Amino acid sequence: MPIKAMTQEWMDAYKAAIQADPEYKGIAKDWEGSVSLVVNPEPARNVPDPIYLFMDYWHGDVGDFVVCDKAKADSAKFVMTGDYARWKQVAYKELDATKALLQGKLKMRGDLPYVVRNIKTVNKVIDILGRVDTLWPDDNK
Amino acid sequence: MAGGYAGKFLRVNLAEGSWSDFTVGDDILRRFIGGSCLAAKLFLDRYPIDADPLSPENPLMIMTGPMVGSGFPGTSRFSVCAKSPQTGIWAESACGGTFGPDLKRAGYDGIVIEGRSHGPVTLTVDDSGVRLSDASTLWGRDIYEVTDELKARDKSAKVLVIGPAGENLARIAAIGNDKGHFSGRAGLGAVMGSKNLKAVVVRGTSAKAARADDEGFKLAMKAAMQEIKDSALAEGLHMMGSDANMDLGMVTGDVPVKNWTSGGEFDLAASLSGPTMREKYLTKAHACTNCPIACKRVVKVDDGPFATAEGPGPEYETCAVFGTMMMNPDLTAVIKANELCNRYGMDTISCGSAVALAMELYEKGEITEDRLGGLDLSWGNMDAVLELVRRMAYREGFGDILADGAVHAARRLGGDAMDAVVHVKGLEAPMHDPRGFHGMGLAYMMSNRGACHLQHFVLATEQGMASWPQLFDMKDDYEGTTSEGKAALVYNSENYGILANSLSICHYVAYSIRPETLRDAFNAITGFGFDFADILSTGMRDWTLKRGFNNLLGITSKDDILPKRAMTALEEGGAAGSVPDTALLLKEYYALRALDERGFPKAEMLDRLGLDELKSRLYQ
Ligand code: SF4
Repeated sequence: MPIKAMTQEWMDAYKAAIQADPEYKGIAKDWEGSVSLVVNPEPARNVPDPIYLFMDYWHGDVGDFVVCDKAKADSAKFVMTGDYARWKQVAYKELDATKALLQGKLKMRGDLPYVVRNIKTVNKVIDILGRVDTLWPDDNK
Repeated sequence: MAGGYAGKFLRVNLAEGSWSDFTVGDDILRRFIGGSCLAAKLFLDRYPIDADPLSPENPLMIMTGPMVGSGFPGTSRFSVCAKSPQTGIWAESACGGTFGPDLKRAGYDGIVIEGRSHGPVTLTVDDSGVRLSDASTLWGRDIYEVTDELKARDKSAKVLVIGPAGENLARIAAIGNDKGHFSGRAGLGAVMGSKNLKAVVVRGTSAKAARADDEGFKLAMKAAMQEIKDSALAEGLHMMGSDANMDLGMVTGDVPVKNWTSGGEFDLAASLSGPTMREKYLTKAHACTNCPIACKRVVKVDDGPFATAEGPGPEYETCAVFGTMMMNPDLTAVIKANELCNRYGMDTISCGSAVALAMELYEKGEITEDRLGGLDLSWGNMDAVLELVRRMAYREGFGDILADGAVHAARRLGGDAMDAVVHVKGLEAPMHDPRGFHGMGLAYMMSNRGACHLQHFVLATEQGMASWPQLFDMKDDYEGTTSEGKAALVYNSENYGILANSLSICHYVAYSIRPETLRDAFNAITGFGFDFADILSTGMRDWTLKRGFNNLLGITSKDDILPKRAMTALEEGGAAGSVPDTALLLKEYYALRALDERGFPKAEMLDRLGLDELKSRLYQ
């Protein structure tokens, strides 16, 4: 049964998928710090307001995974911002997150060299995101 | 007179010790713009293409473009062109730094150097005129020493210098500008050496090229600065230099490992990467004239066996060829190798590729320690590598065999050596694996100077650094390990990318700004009023002209191939199991370029592009 995207239930499912992944712990062993995703509103795609998601990653473990407010999102070590449609493309692996960043389709605030050094961790969590059975706001399921 | 041009070129004959100015008509400038494109046109019109590249008859052309000196970001560049002593075909090598704008301010769009001087000379071009002076005391000395000495004589001078490798006619010799910038590829330093020309010094302050539309230029300039400020690519380049590619490229299968035989060496990449260089050895970021990106590295290694004084740091290509290609995890050794190549004046890609070949042959027992003059060339033994680099520059012992690059070395060594070289048309491939990016494989096969990542924008478009659907039909995200759809991507990325080499603008800047902004700046400077279709057809004309140049020298479809090693699938890494479908790529590409089965441009394409003289030479 697909879960509504960007809800707390969806965040819980995403966290559980990361924890269940046999490779994640090893790949992410060096990663320290929280990441927030800011989803810009797109009313035409049933996203009327911005959505803020906060995820805490620490040396292969995961902490808080919550839908949050702007202040909490801003407190993350890395803040990534993009239009809803772009995030959906990233989740479906139609658009690689690094390419989206380089092309300006996503924006990031945070230590870019750190992300580059840990690119395998970034790719892994996106890979897992694609595995969460998701109902997107503009899906007609 | 079109805007942006100084309005004249300098022709120097070193044999006669004479010089004169010449001009190029607006119709030619409009069709060939400048840089390497205009150089190819001038070469075909005025010089014999069948001359030995190291003979006095091969001209050495130092060319700027109309945007150089305008103050627009990334327009400090110039192209050095000639027939290549390494490949025997067309050679061009663009260089950043400081030289281009000063040449323009000295009143010249380019310099064409003919003949051979009887003894070592320095050519000086400044506001007061042109001079040739004795360079006997500079001959034999390395690029850093000579640069320092010439700048001590005039601290504002901008200099091009060759090192011992160029003097010794190493066919992989480079030309250095102000220590940290190089016309590296295809052996142009040897052409300069063959002319007994040790240095070119320019200092220009007075000449100012007119602009067609000052207001339009200001707007384009403002847009470019904002786009660079907003660009994550530009930010990454500023923070990590081109070596930002090391970690990312190891994941995608871009980075060659152990002389192109392996992949997936993530720890090795991490030890050599841009973030590591930044954290441990970077003292500051450095910029070419008028560039807000400042991707160049200045590094220092305080201690250890490879301690290196503060100076220009390695690019990604150098980190890969002296790092992953040699199974060397020590970035300080790469920094030292980079310094040696800079001082001796050798292209790091060709130099490192030749050494990696020797390492592989040493491992296989095909060359012995004895033959290497006592060097243990085991993978990762960087003491031996650095000594071999020195011997290459001075053509000592086994160094003499490697001094002309991997292809010449493999020919001399015989056996299966050539199977271990990744090259196209005699030029070793840069450090981007065509098995990870099939479009790059096609670009290597079809580049007019041999395997090359800088004659086009394929690196940016295929790897997703940039997406320009407004320019041609392209996707935001291409899978590297597929050949479908790549021919059109390569064709268009060449046609647009060639603009950079004719304008003499930095690729990184062009990747970071919108095509509209570049077009508007170009038009505001020149007054040419080009739309995107004009820009792309200028690229087509340039590509076809250089292809014709090479066809006249015997290049045919048989030369448009990837070598055996690049067509052997890897077992690990991002490119594992993948090889380009070269038959598909070439079939589609040949149709787009209107090449016949011999690999010659068809007559109707030459007509369409207005290349009548080339047509008459190809079809006489
Ligand atoms: S991006 Fe780098 S290479 Fe290009 S002009 Fe700027 S400093 Fe020079």
